[in-house]
Amino acid sequence: MPEAYQDKIDLEARKRGINVMNGTFSKLLESLESGKELKLVIPKRTLTNTIFDPEKGILKLGVSKLERRFLDMNEARRFMQTLVMASIIYRALIENEYPTIRDLYYRGKHTIVYRDLEGRHREENTWDEQAESDAVLRDLEVMLGLLREDLMILSKEKGKVVGNMRIRSGNDVIDLSKLGHGAYAIESTPDLIEFLDVDAEFVLVVEKDAVFQQLHRVGFWQKYKSILVTGAGQPDRATRRFVRRLNEELGLPVYVLTDSDPYGWYIYSVFKVGSIQLSYESERLATPKAKFLGVSMSDIFGHGRKKPYLTDEERRNYIIKAKELDIRRAKELMKYSWFQTNLWKREIDMFLDKKAKLEIEALASKGLRFLAFQYLPEKIQTHDWIE
Amino acid sequence: MAQEQESKPRERFTEISVAEFFSKNKELAGFSNPTRALYQTVRELVENALDATDSHGILPDIKVHIREVEPETEDRPARYEVTVEDNGIGVPKTVMAQAFGKVLFSSKYVIRQTRGMYGLGVKAVTLYAQTTTGRPVFVVSSQENSEYVYYQKVRIDVKRNEPLVAEDGQFLKRSSWHGTVVSALVEGDWQRAKPKIIEYIRRTAVVAPYAEIWLVTPENEIYFFPRATKKMPKPPREAKPHPHGVDLEQVKVMLESTKAENLLDFLKEEFQGIGDKTATEFLRSVGIRSDMSPKTLLRKDRAKELEEFVTKLRTFKGFRGPRSDYLSPIGEELIELGLTRMFKPEWVKAVTRPARAYQGHPFIVEAGIAFGGSIEPQEEPILLRFANKIPLLYEEREDVSYKVVTSVDWSRYGVQEPYQLAVLVHVASTKVPYKGVGKESISDVPELESEIRNAVLEVARSLRLYISRKQREEMVKEKLVTIAKYIPEVARSLAILSLPPEKLDKQYRELEARARELLISSVSSSVEMPKIDGRRADPRALVEAIIKGVEIEEVR
Repeated sequence: MPEAYQDKIDLEARKRGINVMNGTFSKLLESLESGKELKLVIPKRTLTNTIFDPEKGILKLGVSKLERRFLDMNEARRFMQTLVMASIIYRALIENEYPTIRDLYYRGKHTIVYRDLEGRHREENTWDEQAESDAVLRDLEVMLGLLREDLMILSKEKGKVVGNMRIRSGNDVIDLSKLGHGAYAIESTPDLIEFLDVDAEFVLVVEKDAVFQQLHRVGFWQKYKSILVTGAGQPDRATRRFVRRLNEELGLPVYVLTDSDPYGWYIYSVFKVGSIQLSYESERLATPKAKFLGVSMSDIFGHGRKKPYLTDEERRNYIIKAKELDIRRAKELMKYSWFQTNLWKREIDMFLDKKAKLEIEALASKGLRFLAFQYLPEKIQTHDWIE
Repeated sequence: MAQEQESKPRERFTEISVAEFFSKNKELAGFSNPTRALYQTVRELVENALDATDSHGILPDIKVHIREVEPETEDRPARYEVTVEDNGIGVPKTVMAQAFGKVLFSSKYVIRQTRGMYGLGVKAVTLYAQTTTGRPVFVVSSQENSEYVYYQKVRIDVKRNEPLVAEDGQFLKRSSWHGTVVSALVEGDWQRAKPKIIEYIRRTAVVAPYAEIWLVTPENEIYFFPRATKKMPKPPREAKPHPHGVDLEQVKVMLESTKAENLLDFLKEEFQGIGDKTATEFLRSVGIRSDMSPKTLLRKDRAKELEEFVTKLRTFKGFRGPRSDYLSPIGEELIELGLTRMFKPEWVKAVTRPARAYQGHPFIVEAGIAFGGSIEPQEEPILLRFANKIPLLYEEREDVSYKVVTSVDWSRYGVQEPYQLAVLVHVASTKVPYKGVGKESISDVPELESEIRNAVLEVARSLRLYISRKQREEMVKEKLVTIAKYIPEVARSLAILSLPPEKLDKQYRELEARARELLISSVSSSVEMPKIDGRRADPRALVEAIIKGVEIEEVR
């Protein structure tokens, strides 16, 4: 790949990745030279080693580490997989490639043909499912202290953004307010984006792509000087990192709009504190100050002096009965410490009481204008959110 | 023959009845039906042939030829000519007729461990042949230093128990051949006897791997057992009887035939393990004068005293234990060799126990175990029984060895069902306590039973040790395979990762080889191989072999 078209930032990131990997693994070979057994020390990515840092308001990896020993029968395979994955990434960095995690899976998938104790031919793949190669990639990220973005590994772009803002990506300047009906797909390496100038007062993160499009077409971000983002369901890392940077570097408040159900709450939670599976990246991906704007239970049913946004008839039409799984999830979420604020307790209790959920589209059905020009601004103005 | 003359009155009585008795009660000698009789014929002749060779330090060459002469008819079974040739010491012409035609013939009164025990053996074949086909047995023989080859056709005068020679001749020997060829024409059932006869020959080859044995069947199939070793067990020696092992009749014969002038000398000369002091002490305890003539004790009016004398002989505690150096065990090495050849097992071991005695008869028990390998899995362990080197094939469940082997909890010795296990038990004794005249099973005499158990369990304990170490070794090997198969991938990855980009192309090969070498050392030194039968597998060689077998294929 000709380097002339590549930008500096990209190349420097590569060099960093190469150095860290080469340094780490040369030491491994040296230890083998000196007669020591091969082992990798990897921070544990388990639920028990995932802790909530109340100060920072994010999920973090704890201090416990595991030793992956090549000479241990039960770990030899994982050890081999880790090294195979590392060597492929290392080569890709050197060769100026941008593999996806799917590419890594295919490149590392070899068949090891060997003979067992009885001399029979046996075959074993270095890995079978992509879940296996993905898992060792995560191990490498925590072991090296480098995220996949730092290692130039791409994933499918899922997140989108529009708004009054100009950015530099690679060698190009992009105006996020001049994208017509479309939007800018948030690139896999959001750290390589440079913010040029911004004229916005807040960020609205919408769970659903369809609602994002509706708000975009109706001119929401123009009217309210905002940046509109969607993760299209469960947000990818790039979207989360991008939102985090908007909040951290530009000081913009972040509001999250999701369905009114435990699944929507968890998406908010992923933006805010990080995911359990990827807790090692929360440090960089989470936006602890993100606020849950809605749709909340009190929006549907009202609370105290607050009147519901929906009429009785609308409630009858739009409300969906919660399923057993929703109830179970809600009870699980109650256990997480970051869901133990008063407002969240009230929200979850109401849900468990009413056993009802609602999709954002219901508000759009009531009227897109209602959603864009009444519900959202009113909620922001009256600070009617949950943290 | 002077002795014969002296003892004539008593002997006539016994001998005649014995010859008649056996001809009327063939089943007792193992000739109960055509199948059994054909088997027994082969057996008696083969055992005779072995006794004529290995007991005299000659490596046996034995040829067994069975030929159908007349097919079966409605009235009678088929007739077979059974011919057995050996390269043994040969039978002197003077005793040839007696040896094949007089029941209970023996030239000298001694005890010795031989295959045939009743002095019947081959004479039972003569009897059976003449009662079924009316033909005499045909004997051809020559001794090593003889200028002639002698031949005779012999039958038995059953009433008188005397040999009848139907034909007699000799010719000049041109070669250096010595040995005996015996040919008998008998009724039999080959189809039924075939598996037993073949098994008999196979088992004979197990305990006599130093013998070369040919078997040619009526269908002209040839079973050949080549000589696997030239090592032979030491031949059995003759010995005097031990006082605990004699009975009234035997003592009478001894008193008659002894040259001793008085009872003191009689005891010292005719028995083993009795010296001057013991003899005096013994006679004092029985209350018989030591200067009494042996013949006096045979007088009718002394019958009570004689009985007392014999009872005391059998129970007196002052005698030394019976000597066993004239017993001829097969030996651990030969048993292991024979079992290995027959079964091609994974593991084999044998033990020869020290001599013991029951009722004054010395005996030695030997046991061998073959395990795994090509042994066909069975519901019960395969049992190979031998008495004085004779395979015992019938009446297995009656045998004391069967009782012992089936009572062992083999799972405690690491052996799982179905059993890939063969247990060999050999009892060598001057008097094997058979259950019947057919000599096919051994009684459960307590001393013998406990000694068989000791022998089998001694080998079983070695087996347990072997199996447990083998299992440990399997586990270690499994670990090696599990880990070592990844070495090529790990070495390759490690070499790539340890080189900075600018050196990657140039130094990769060298570093990959180095990493591989280091990994091999690391993996092979991480395990300890258990020692099995004094040897330890080399983990490094194993690891290298595993890696050699590894191929990496790209997945399409």
